[in-house]
Amino acid sequence: MEENTNNQQKNDSAESQPLSEIDKLKKQCDEYLDGWKRSKADFINYRKDEVKRLDLILKFANETIIKDLINVLDSFDLAIQSLGGDSKVEKGVYLIRAQLEDILKKYGLERIIVSVGQKFDPALHEAIASVESDKPSGTIIDEVERGYTLSGKLIRAARVKVSK
Amino acid sequence: MKILGIDLGTTNSAMAIVEGGEPKVLENAEGARTTPSVAAISKSNERLVGMLAKRQAVVNPKNTVFSVKRLIGRKFSDSEVQRDVKWLPYELKQSSSGGVEVNMGDKWYKPEEISAMILAKLKADAEAKLGEKIEEAVITVPAYFDDSQRQATKNAGEIAGLKVRRIINEPTAAAFAYGFNREKNQKIAVYDFGGGTFDISVLEIGFDTETKEQTVEVKGTGGDTHLGGDDFDKRMIDFLVDEYKKSQGTDLSKDPLALQRLREAVEKAKHELSTVTEAEINLPYISSDASGPKHFLMKLSRAKLEDLVGDMISKSIELVKKTISETGLKVSDINELILVGGQTRMPAMQEAVKKFFGKEPHRGINPDEVVAIGAAVQAGIFQGDVKDVLLLDVTPLSLGIETYGSVFTPMIEKNTTIPTSKSQIFSTASDNQTSVEIHVLQGERTMAADNKTLGRFILDGIPPAPRGIPQIEVAFDIDANGILSVSAKDKATNKVQSVRIEASTQLSKDEIERLKKEAAMHAEEDRQKKEVAEVKNQAEQLVYVSEKNVNEWKDKISAEVKASIEKKIADLKDAIAKNDPEIIKSASAELSQELQKIGQSMYTPKDNEQAPPEQ
Repeated sequence: MEENTNNQQKNDSAESQPLSEIDKLKKQCDEYLDGWKRSKADFINYRKDEVKRLDLILKFANETIIKDLINVLDSFDLAIQSLGGDSKVEKGVYLIRAQLEDILKKYGLERIIVSVGQKFDPALHEAIASVESDKPSGTIIDEVERGYTLSGKLIRAARVKVSK
Repeated sequence: MKILGIDLGTTNSAMAIVEGGEPKVLENAEGARTTPSVAAISKSNERLVGMLAKRQAVVNPKNTVFSVKRLIGRKFSDSEVQRDVKWLPYELKQSSSGGVEVNMGDKWYKPEEISAMILAKLKADAEAKLGEKIEEAVITVPAYFDDSQRQATKNAGEIAGLKVRRIINEPTAAAFAYGFNREKNQKIAVYDFGGGTFDISVLEIGFDTETKEQTVEVKGTGGDTHLGGDDFDKRMIDFLVDEYKKSQGTDLSKDPLALQRLREAVEKAKHELSTVTEAEINLPYISSDASGPKHFLMKLSRAKLEDLVGDMISKSIELVKKTISETGLKVSDINELILVGGQTRMPAMQEAVKKFFGKEPHRGINPDEVVAIGAAVQAGIFQGDVKDVLLLDVTPLSLGIETYGSVFTPMIEKNTTIPTSKSQIFSTASDNQTSVEIHVLQGERTMAADNKTLGRFILDGIPPAPRGIPQIEVAFDIDANGILSVSAKDKATNKVQSVRIEASTQLSKDEIERLKKEAAMHAEEDRQKKEVAEVKNQAEQLVYVSEKNVNEWKDKISAEVKASIEKKIADLKDAIAKNDPEIIKSASAELSQELQKIGQSMYTPKDNEQAPPEQ
């Protein structure tokens, strides 16, 4: 009976203390286990995201190369423009250009269609000059360099001259 | 709830977030890792921010606001503002409180309202990318920003709907990105050469181990707010336009498309010249005159580029010298050096900085993103992602064992985060080998003798068996305190021996760097040594197999075949002793060839038997 009383006393004093050693440790334990579970979950989720990331990488892996090759397409455009009438040479150059563009199309490249008189849209076009013209203000009066999308993503805006 | 780290730059902004314990840059809605700090009201009264605003700048200069960071929190009468008023294409005026207001689309805005538009776009793009709401941010500002400029930046965040947990200095963010938030008593110089501005800052990082509080003191700042990579581009363009004028007579700067193409080609060449010594600028059909189309083709050498911009690099070093002397410190007092900003990729600039400070700069993180990453690290600390108790170390050098041929076989690669464990199955090198010695090593060289011995032990009692048959599982385990345990277990008997090594992560930083450099210097020589060892191993294996086979089939093959094979085996043994990989390879090939005679003679019909019909 005496022992019980002592125990009772001990218990009372333990409860009146803010947080006993055991409770503190238990709390810490729970925190650690929770942290561990979260870490594990983060890792599993990271792996799932990794699969999505790899998909994106595959899709856009060629973006850098294709972007660089667009400059070659540009040069062809300029060449064709300047050749004008000489039909013999022009046809060959045109075919080579078409060959390059076809290959790039296979990898997702698409030209942005721009027409004179179209409203300038900064989501697709980049204005490189503002020109006096009788056309309504803010419309495209000349496409100076072609714009392209790759698998739906804009990789180069079409360079245009816009009327003042 | 995640907190966004934002580098709100003069020309470009970037954002990063801590994900899975690591800071990472977030792409914006257009898929770009940086967003131009530009806002505009288009001709059709649409508000545009970022790349979209930039694309229509040329046709709408009065209503396209950029570089607003140069005005935020300043008084209209500030010399900085007065200087910029002269060249900014949009209208500025003094506000009723003496501050600055800018005109965009016929309305007057405070600079913080413009910055808020950029922050709002970053917030929206981040929310879309992460699929969750972002309500808080850490935003960076230059170390020289005063209270008014900091408050205005904070206001910009609030206007954008972000609670700004803290405004931190850009050089401090850079230091955090490189992990200096865990160090104490370091003096760090941050050399930030961006697109439009150059900043040099000297920081002192302290860490109070009692309160676990980070203290960062800015000892001094300096720089030039109108010196940056764009000036380098301009020098190159001017040079090329001049050259073209001299040789072709046309002034390319008058043609907007030609100038644009030239500008892009120059930027590309500048980047290339950081890795190669000559870049070609090839622009077909750049212009045309009476005689027909004209092309631009020119080789630009790294030396020429360095010549064109050398004075600007020297100017930046002079500014560094001035700033350091103003702090009262000596150059030798600086412990660490960090490079920020894309232009710092240039070798000549890195050389100049390295020479001045007498130490290697830290530059492993993308210099365009390091400030955003640092802001995210700070955000992560607030998020509680980086608990002190969870700060993990890495093992600085590779750990492994010595294997047959005195080769070092790594088990745990350098820079592996600990705690970690790895195990691999090995076997015996000779027949009836009943014990293996596990020789634990640390280092980066390919041959065991060139690395550091950490410990050795022997596992014996392996049941006798032909070489290569026993399975000995060797396991390396490093705990969170860096203590390495290596064990070897015979899978047949389950007998285990192990050793415990205390000091594997205790090397000083300098020591580690020295060992890594040594490995790099000896890389070719080590590769050859390893190749020789491998060729020898394979040859010895072949000798073993050959002898075994000759023994097994000795009754079924003729005496001549047996003799010729035994001769080739002897030749190979000689070659192995000579240590020359070429001789060993050819002797191995000859033995392999000769070995086939066993099969050939066994499948050839004896005199009185008939050959099987060919199928």
